[in-house]
Order: sequence, then structure tokens, then C-alpha cells
Amino acid sequence: MRFQRRKLGITPPYVSMADIAFNLVLFFVILAKTQDDSHIVWEPADAPGAKPAPVSRVSISVDKDNRVYFNGKQAGVRDLASLVEKELANLNPKDRAVLLKIHKETLAATFEPILEAVSQAGGEVVHVIEDERK
Amino acid sequence: MGKKERMAAGATIEAGNKSGRNKASAMQTAWVLNLLTDLAFNLLIFFVVCASTTPEKGRPQHMPSASKDKANETKSQTVEVALTRTTVTINGAEVASKDFTGKLKELLDVKTKPEDRIVVVKSTKDTPYRHWIRVTGMVEEAGGVITLQLEEEKEITVR
Repeated sequence: MRFQRRKLGITPPYVSMADIAFNLVLFFVILAKTQDDSHIVWEPADAPGAKPAPVSRVSISVDKDNRVYFNGKQAGVRDLASLVEKELANLNPKDRAVLLKIHKETLAATFEPILEAVSQAGGEVVHVIEDERK
Repeated sequence: MGKKERMAAGATIEAGNKSGRNKASAMQTAWVLNLLTDLAFNLLIFFVVCASTTPEKGRPQHMPSASKDKANETKSQTVEVALTRTTVTINGAEVASKDFTGKLKELLDVKTKPEDRIVVVKSTKDTPYRHWIRVTGMVEEAGGVITLQLEEEKEITVR
């Protein structure tokens, strides 16, 4: 005697699947977009002429205590030129933007060598500032 | 079966059908509510993420190169802007912040070639970034091309 197999009446929960997929997309987009530098305490300087900053692979920050960070990790000023050069290697001139997030009270003794290092490495300097209304 | 009995049986079946329909509609309502909650939650996350990742504002600055010697070679042709902690001078003369752009523009308007519009920015070590970024912004506004003149490091040997 042959028994007919019962068909399983399970339908995949398509709606929940779409939700999960959407959440995953959001998760990866956020991961790809953000560099974690939230631990760096700094205040941008006010200056006119601010435009939306371009997407950049490199960011150099200087915090309130004059510590220098390269892509969120503490680094020495002397190593910056080689680090920037390594990161920007094989990139088009358009994509060579280097975001500088310098605390407004930082002195020239600290920020000028950083500018020099970026310039040496062939990066395009973009100062992250707060737009000053005239 | 009498007429009364038949009517009673009919009423029971109808009541049974009604309760089944109620159950089904309650389940459907719960399902739709579930979906709506998911949707609301997703939208909430989406907007929170959008709000938290506001694009940063910046100012691109083209700097030919930070020079230590070149600035001295071309000193006679270029405009020199010197910064201290609170003051700014153009070719050695102190200028008020509000007059800075106008005066620099006057000097640069005479020069037609871009290589002549180089402005050498020299700052003392105690110049704060907020002061430097404002002044360099004004230099760019006046049509100048910024070049930094860095103080040379002096090596002192202590015996």
C-alpha cells in the first residue's frame, strides 16, 4: 500500500524576511559609512565658506588635549606622512581628500606639521569647520 | 424534530460560525498590527540613522606645498601674511580683521598670473587654529593662493 506524503503547509514569512533584509542593508550601510571617532573630543572652529565635506578614506583629528589621531587611532605627527601616503596610494586625485578635524584651540606648533605631512603625501586638505553666518 | 428544536439547532451552528469568523478576523488584525509595528520600528531606525549621520561641513584648501626655503627666494614678489595669537599683518603692517580682505584684494588685484597671487602665511607657534582658519579663509576669498612658511627646526645639542 502506498502512502501519499503529506504536503507541508509551511510558507516562508516573506514579510519578515523583507524586514530582516532591510535591517541588514541598513546595518552594513552604517558600518561602511562611519569611521568610529566618537571617542575623540574636539570642537570645530567657526569659519565662513563651509561646504558639505566629500567622502574621504582618511581623517586626521586633533583633540582638546593636543593628541593626534589617524582614522580614529592615536598616531604621531612624524608618522602621518607615510600613513596618509599608504592609505591614498592608487587613488584618483579626486578621491585624495583628507579630512582635518582640528580642535579650535590647537596651536600652530601642532597643526602646521600635520598640514605639511598631508601636503607631502599628496592629499587634498579639507578642513572640517562649522559654518559661520555673516 | 419540531420546529422549535430545528430553530435552536440553526442558531447554535450560526453562533459557531460567528465565533470562528471572529477568531479569524482577530488573528488577521494581530498579523496586520505585527506588520505595522515592524514597519514603524524600521522607519524609526531609518530616521534615527539619518539624523545621527549628518554630513560634515568642510572647506577644501589647495596648498601647493609647505615651503621652508622657497618662501625666502620669492619674497619680493609675494604677499606675506604673518599671524600671531591675536594679530594679523600684511607685509609687516598690522591690519584690523574687518579690513583684511579688502587690503589683501587691493594688493592681489594688480597681479594677473596665478603664480604671482601666492600669499605666504607665516604664523607663530602659539597661533590658535580658529584664528588661522579665519585668516586663511579671507586670503582665499581675496583670491590668494596659500603657501605655508614653516619655522625651521633648530637642533640644539646639549652637552
